[in-house]
Amino acid sequence: MITRTTRLGLLAATLAIVASACSGAATPTPAAPSVAPSVAAPSVAPSAAPSVAASPSPAASTSAGAALKIGVVTDIGTLNDKGYNEYSYKGAQDAATTLGAATPPSIVPKDASEYKADIQQFVDQKFDVIVTVGFNLTSDTVAAAKANPTIHFVGVDQSPVCVDPTGAPDATFACKGDAKTLLPNYTSLYFAEDQAGYLAGIVAAYASKANIIGAIGGTTLCAPCVRYIQGYELGAKSVKPAIVVKSSYVTRDFSAAAFNDPAGGKIFADTFIKTNKVDVLFQVAGKTGNGVLEAACASKIYGIGVDVDQWTSLGAPANACVITSAEKHVESAVNQAITGIAAGNLAAGDVLFNAANDGIGASDFHDKASLFGPEVKTALDAALAAMKAGTLKTCPDTGCGVAK
Amino acid sequence: MDITPLVNGLYGIPVLGLVFQAIGYLVAVIPPNSTSIMSQATPLALAALCGVLCERSGVVNIGIEGTMLASAFTAWVVGVAINPMFQAAPTDVFGITIPLVIALIAAIGVALLISALHAWLSISLRADQIISGTIINIAAFGVTGYLDQLISKTSPAGAGEFTRFTPPDALTNLPGVGWIVSMFLNQGPIAMSAIVLIVGAQVWLFRSRWGLRTRAVGEHPRAAETVGIDVIRLRYKNVMIGGMFAGLGGAFLSIEATNSFQLGMTNGRGFIALAAMIMGRWTPLGAFASALLFATFLQLGQLINIAPPGGDLGTIMSAVPAQLFDALPYILTIVILAGVVGRSVPPAADGQPYERESAT
Repeated sequence: MITRTTRLGLLAATLAIVASACSGAATPTPAAPSVAPSVAAPSVAPSAAPSVAASPSPAASTSAGAALKIGVVTDIGTLNDKGYNEYSYKGAQDAATTLGAATPPSIVPKDASEYKADIQQFVDQKFDVIVTVGFNLTSDTVAAAKANPTIHFVGVDQSPVCVDPTGAPDATFACKGDAKTLLPNYTSLYFAEDQAGYLAGIVAAYASKANIIGAIGGTTLCAPCVRYIQGYELGAKSVKPAIVVKSSYVTRDFSAAAFNDPAGGKIFADTFIKTNKVDVLFQVAGKTGNGVLEAACASKIYGIGVDVDQWTSLGAPANACVITSAEKHVESAVNQAITGIAAGNLAAGDVLFNAANDGIGASDFHDKASLFGPEVKTALDAALAAMKAGTLKTCPDTGCGVAK
Repeated sequence: MDITPLVNGLYGIPVLGLVFQAIGYLVAVIPPNSTSIMSQATPLALAALCGVLCERSGVVNIGIEGTMLASAFTAWVVGVAINPMFQAAPTDVFGITIPLVIALIAAIGVALLISALHAWLSISLRADQIISGTIINIAAFGVTGYLDQLISKTSPAGAGEFTRFTPPDALTNLPGVGWIVSMFLNQGPIAMSAIVLIVGAQVWLFRSRWGLRTRAVGEHPRAAETVGIDVIRLRYKNVMIGGMFAGLGGAFLSIEATNSFQLGMTNGRGFIALAAMIMGRWTPLGAFASALLFATFLQLGQLINIAPPGGDLGTIMSAVPAQLFDALPYILTIVILAGVVGRSVPPAADGQPYERESAT
């Protein structure tokens, strides 16, 4: 990062080279200074060819946990985004601490065109485990996993893994290949967002007096966002069958407006609240959603956070109206995955994190606890228990993750 | 006379019925959301004003996006830094606090510095103005991203945000015009000042000596120089004043529209503003009108998404891919730029560095 800044300074001074540097400078430098370009000590034995066995982990089987070199490529945004990037990275840090491995360096891509090059940086430096964060990095991660069978790739939220019969990422989504056997070194962690949304829906239904509640998602293309909202609706209706659940998506593509535009999100939510007269609003739109929560608080209605405990992550005064958050335990999942690699027992392909393995949850009510009677806790516990038992339907049978 | 059969008959004609429904929908949804439209338009209008001042004096500034981003970051980060020193409660007037005011001034100051850099590169050094602007955009993205990563490690709270003025109900409930009142008056200080600044700039540019000279410098600098106008100096001044407007627009994003900073939170607004400037034929009022039009379509795209119209219109619209409505403002921009407004002629010397004639 430092070198990027100095390079930019250099750019300002030397106008002539800017045109070439614009395309050439697209390879960012790792954020942590600990990534010296050390090509030494490759801890992976070259003989570890990918076998077709059940859940082989070629990297782990040949290297002790403490020697694991773990790298994290996040999605666009910042490392300290109080969301996915941050908690995935923390999970990698936790795992490194547990294993006694070196602190994992991270790279934050500037835009989607850099994903590939950023992953390649870690590959070139002979890392053993490369964690990539977010759905947007799926095809680049899969391609890298195919090209580097000795390196373990962990994708956060990249399911369903879809590959063609050769193991290459399948842009047509025909998904003819079996990722588990073709790419034994690639695991995608995914979450039962609908379960977390279901819990949030229960809380929302109890908090609502108007019996109209709302949810705003980032984009219809984000299947996890849709699942959250589908679960939310079912959860609310499990408490109050007649409750009205309104939902909208800020946009329908993966532009910055979907997840990185708090000002736009606030205006969108203002309109949404005014139009639909909701009195509880669930945001599923990343940083855009932080604007949604601001609008909710400004309109004196309740807000529900997403992915992490936003009451804690936002802090006062932004959390003034946040009653709970639908949580994905990304940190725990990444930690479990990496320690699983070290122990040689991480399955390949899609690995689900849900209520049964501490993958999801609803946050504490914090200062809003007085709003809720004991029946809310009872309802949440009952739902969680039913989810663990696998008896609770939290997503529509058809079209789970598909926006209407 | 009972006109119901007539109206029903009109509804029977498919296209006319749809037009009626569309008008009815617009009348139903636009006025209640006029405040949001103005909020969407404010950063665009301020940035477009920056563009107007720069280009009227003959300097192309595509670094507006970067300038806004840097100002948005500065406003937020200064608020974070000095907020702990002043534990004052927000005042009733716009929620103004001392940290907020200092943050705003700092944001404008940074914008001033950046535009001074652009002026120096493009006026004094006669560098390619597009490249200078591009550098500002890239540098602002990189530097704010880097600093944000350092600072946001501790997730600090910002200095809060300016709040909106609430006009009396007697005004906002006025039949017919109440929504226009809330549009312009139910706003925070930056949005309101934008309206004043735009009208002021219009008068200033077309009714004052400075304005006349600015336009002359943008049209024919050589001729202006021969009548004793200091071309270089005037261009510097205009670019820097314009930069301050862009800074105000950036500060709007991080301390009025929200109380947060996100990497790249300007989200292309600085570029849309350039389109608004061209649509408005390089006049402040025209640019403002274009920004409002753009914001209206942006809002309309969202409203169709949030509260789709009913009836036949709704049925037809649900058959259209929803992405089309998101694209509405951009399609509109292209259509208008492609000729609906007629030929939009830039200042003749726009983008051309000026070189003083040597004394020999």
